[in-house]
Amino acid sequence: MNPMNTASHPQQRQFNPYTENGGTILAIAGLDFSVIAGDTRQSEGYNIQTRYAPKVFRLTDRAVLAVNGFAADGNMFVKKVKQRLEWYRHAHAKDMPLHAIARLIQTMLYARRFFPYYVYNILGGIEDDGSGAVYSFDPVGSYERETCRAAGAAQSLVQPFLDNQIYFKNQQPALGTSHPAHLPLPQVLRLVIDSFTGATERHIEVGDGLEMFVVLAKGHDLAGLEGIAGLQEMSTKSDGERIFVIRRELKKD
Amino acid sequence: MNTFVNRFSTNNALSVIRKAQAVVDDDEEFSDAAWGSEAGFGSLAKGVPSFSIPAVHDPTAFLRLHTDDHADPNCRIKIQHGTTTLAFRFQGGVIVAVDSRATAGSYIASGTVKKVIEINPYLLGTMAGGAADCQYWETYLGIQCRLHELRNKERISVAAASKYLSNLVYSYKGMGLSMGTMICGWDKTGPAVFYVDSDGTRLKGDLFSVGSGSTFAYGVLDQGYRWDLTDEEAQELGRRSIYAAGHRDAFSGNTCNLYHVKEDGWRFLGNYDITKMHYDGPGDVPGSAQVAYGYDVRVEGRTSSNPPAAAATA
Amino acid sequence: MECSFALTGKGYVLIAADTTAARSIVKMKIDEDKIKSLGPHLLMAYSGEPGDTTQFAEYIERNIRLYQIRNLYPLRPPSAASWIRRALADSLRSRKPYSVNLLLGGYDTSNHTPSLYWIDYLGTQAEVPFACHGYGSYFALSLLDRYHDPEANLEEGLAVLRRCIDEVSKRLVVSPGKYRVKVVDKDGIREIEF
Repeated sequence: MNPMNTASHPQQRQFNPYTENGGTILAIAGLDFSVIAGDTRQSEGYNIQTRYAPKVFRLTDRAVLAVNGFAADGNMFVKKVKQRLEWYRHAHAKDMPLHAIARLIQTMLYARRFFPYYVYNILGGIEDDGSGAVYSFDPVGSYERETCRAAGAAQSLVQPFLDNQIYFKNQQPALGTSHPAHLPLPQVLRLVIDSFTGATERHIEVGDGLEMFVVLAKGHDLAGLEGIAGLQEMSTKSDGERIFVIRRELKKD
Repeated sequence: MNTFVNRFSTNNALSVIRKAQAVVDDDEEFSDAAWGSEAGFGSLAKGVPSFSIPAVHDPTAFLRLHTDDHADPNCRIKIQHGTTTLAFRFQGGVIVAVDSRATAGSYIASGTVKKVIEINPYLLGTMAGGAADCQYWETYLGIQCRLHELRNKERISVAAASKYLSNLVYSYKGMGLSMGTMICGWDKTGPAVFYVDSDGTRLKGDLFSVGSGSTFAYGVLDQGYRWDLTDEEAQELGRRSIYAAGHRDAFSGNTCNLYHVKEDGWRFLGNYDITKMHYDGPGDVPGSAQVAYGYDVRVEGRTSSNPPAAAATA
Repeated sequence: MECSFALTGKGYVLIAADTTAARSIVKMKIDEDKIKSLGPHLLMAYSGEPGDTTQFAEYIERNIRLYQIRNLYPLRPPSAASWIRRALADSLRSRKPYSVNLLLGGYDTSNHTPSLYWIDYLGTQAEVPFACHGYGSYFALSLLDRYHDPEANLEEGLAVLRRCIDEVSKRLVVSPGKYRVKVVDKDGIREIEF
């Protein structure tokens, strides 16, 4: 190609700092625990970049953040949130409460209103009153406390399943009974595993591995968690809220 | 005074961008305050919000390219659109009613959105357009209203609060903010409703509805509205109008949140399922005739057929 | 902007259409009748692309009349609606389709039932208790959900129609000024001063 030619032709360039890296995240709040999960596949288009790229991160002993969307933005964002939480710890000699972390994430996302982080966040953990909580965010910081939320590539597959199994949408209780307001931990874990195996079956961007973080309120017994395969404790203290991670394999095709 | 002029007198997008770019240069360097108790305030660490701006010729076009789902439905960042909100003033105060649906394209992203923002015990704001824009700026407005109270030893008027918000969003005009909100409350002048949007429009009025379902809400609202409505009638009218919009507008629905503002501040009256209102009515609530709102349910068994008496028996 | 409304009541169909004929920003005529009588008990309100509207309406009018002359009896409303819909659907698949939206109201004297059909330029047809075309539908449909009664007498039906027209005049930026209202019932077709 003639170099003169390229110089004489006007060229148009577009600044596109975003891509979509697939994967799905999910969080469910129980009465005194919460579960935050994500698959570990990272892809771009039809190419799988890695089979292990964590999307779920421990922030404090009672807060876990899951990020989904553009992986580079997500990793940067988690890094910045962790930095702010560390500053808070230095200033106040305690961990930031969950509802405050939620508001912090709102302001940090909104600070990039005109150059957004392309990230969908779900924050899960234990509130000051000991209740399990889930906060979900849009990329520019609008947020809401919920009981369960799925986000990412397979959200439209997983969320209706959760609506049916957690909120009992379109279900009629048997005569003389009522639906439980909160599900026990073992059942929630089963639902999470089923959500991800199901999403892996039907969505090409979901699979490889599953990481489920479990946050238990202070004084909560292990409630069937002991002896579970692939369990690892992540908490720094044993007398406060406790965090565990459970790792499972998902199909790799 | 200079800072005030700087913040509010600029109304062209370029000068705002220049201003924001200057701020962002030192934004990466956090002030000492960020290490202390103000660490939780995010972009508010310096008291005034500051924003990162992409280093391109036209940051507004950049934002539009990646977020505007009208121009390109496949763009990556979906900002919530589609809503019905309404507020009206009457003899007994202000009624505020909203739906709870959030859509991203044709996917219902959430059916439990709180579209009434409780600014303080006397002020409510509604949410239409960008969810984050409304949530963030109305929370920020709440901070400024509290500061006004502390400085002046009296509550801010609804007019002043709405003007503050209006000036604020006007200073970002052309940069892609999207909000259509009603600021509702009770002050020395009595009940008040102001419509404020991101174009910079600010209107005082008795009755407003905003969002994709607003026309359907207006249809029912206008026909049932009178100044001397009783509290119960007014609450029923708010509920009924949101139902109408939820029924006719695909982007609105799920549930209705109802608020009533009186002299002693606002009160949350309840959350009503729109499907339930269609088939069974809103339930045992003040003002309700305990009948289903749905057309088919209401006219069941009624027919336009008009056979003469003889033909009917034949 | 063009608006038309129609609703059924006990033994009748009411049809209202605005009377403006506009071109660009100019009102060319303010007393145009956009509701045609297609028979002794059949009314059709038409709106859409200027030119197409009258051409199509006259074509329908003549052919419905021809059927009546040939067979001594007019088509009953459901059959008329089907035929008209088919005419639109065929036109849509031709080189130059008509873009015309219709409201078809009729009274079937054999079973004493009024019926109303909503038909758009794509050939979509629905039998409905009430209907609108144009921007007016955004305001009137929710209102009709709330106030329409299939057993309303003519006076009550007119009151509901009045609500629709008032609401559109109040809220629609480009609302039409005047409407022509016609009713079809067992006695035939009448125009109602509104």
